[in-house]
Amino acid sequence: MVLGFVAACAGSLGGIGGATLLVPALLVAGFEPSAAAPIGLMVVAAGSLAAAGRQLDEGLVHHRLGLTVELAASVGVVSGALVSTSLPEKLLAGVLALAAAVGAVAALSRKGIRNRPVPSFGEEAVTGEWPGTLGGQYRMGDAIVPYQAIRVPLGMLLSLGAGLVAGLSGVGGGFLKTPAMSEVMHVPAKVAAATSTFTLGLTAATGLLVFAGQGRLELQDGCAAVVGALVGGLAGARFQTRISPTASRQLTGVLLIVVAVVVALRAVLG
Amino acid sequence: MSTPVDPRSGRFDAIVKLLQVAMVLTGVCAAIGAFITGPVADAAQLATVGVLLIAPLSRVTWLIGRWFHRGDPKYALVGTGVLAVMLLGTVLSR
Repeated sequence: MVLGFVAACAGSLGGIGGATLLVPALLVAGFEPSAAAPIGLMVVAAGSLAAAGRQLDEGLVHHRLGLTVELAASVGVVSGALVSTSLPEKLLAGVLALAAAVGAVAALSRKGIRNRPVPSFGEEAVTGEWPGTLGGQYRMGDAIVPYQAIRVPLGMLLSLGAGLVAGLSGVGGGFLKTPAMSEVMHVPAKVAAATSTFTLGLTAATGLLVFAGQGRLELQDGCAAVVGALVGGLAGARFQTRISPTASRQLTGVLLIVVAVVVALRAVLG
Repeated sequence: MSTPVDPRSGRFDAIVKLLQVAMVLTGVCAAIGAFITGPVADAAQLATVGVLLIAPLSRVTWLIGRWFHRGDPKYALVGTGVLAVMLLGTVLSR
């Protein structure tokens, strides 16, 4: 439960989901990957649910963008979950470490803020997504920042990979989705983090449905982790709206480096 | 001069309330499922997973209905596609 709280709190701050930190911790604690994966996805679902209300109120979630990338991610998570039982543990750990390292590089490689406030957008401007498009605007301090998602097919391809990693290992894949949206699709970091958190709930639900069909759900351990994750997710979402986009991105990068190192060491050392 | 009222304010009120209820329900069920044993705990554990599955599905279903109703069929179909893949995954896992 303590692991669930810490992982969900830190994961919500960076928009990467609590299980990205929890699943490696469970592996180090001696859980089998096949048991850790469903627990991870229960925490992902709980963290997404805990953050949902606040992020909707803030107008940070872009639902159309989220469902567009989730269409690819859900194919990936189903595929990954279906084949995960027949793959060796070291390969699964290697995939997780590599994906975390790629996400860290993506999050830390860019400096500054890409999307700038537009002074002509006054107080009357409405925050949120623009209907029928993958664009929108969000409030940064007293200013309004418009944005438009670009390179959508590439973003979907990366989300497919994120879904595959989620299905294979039980992490949500937000550590790939969030950089994909912010760095590849040029969506502001805070919108990317909030939208990613929304999609993680769907990714987790899809994976849990497959794991349930395979009879792999460890419900009691999962419930303990969920209690911690709900409290941690609430705390993380509250602070996520208060930190700068640059700080959010740097925190994501540092967390992912830690995950990559821990998982890689476990894979190498057995 | 007063600040203009956001014409879209309150558009998410219904789904936010639903998600808040789901979150509280999940927390209560998960706590029961984690800390006690017996048939009540078993039921609470199943309820936890059930709510975690139903909450995002309800949100997407609500969005699909809203977008179809408001003339945005392209993204309503995208949402329907996500639900179709989830259904396919459930069937293939058995």
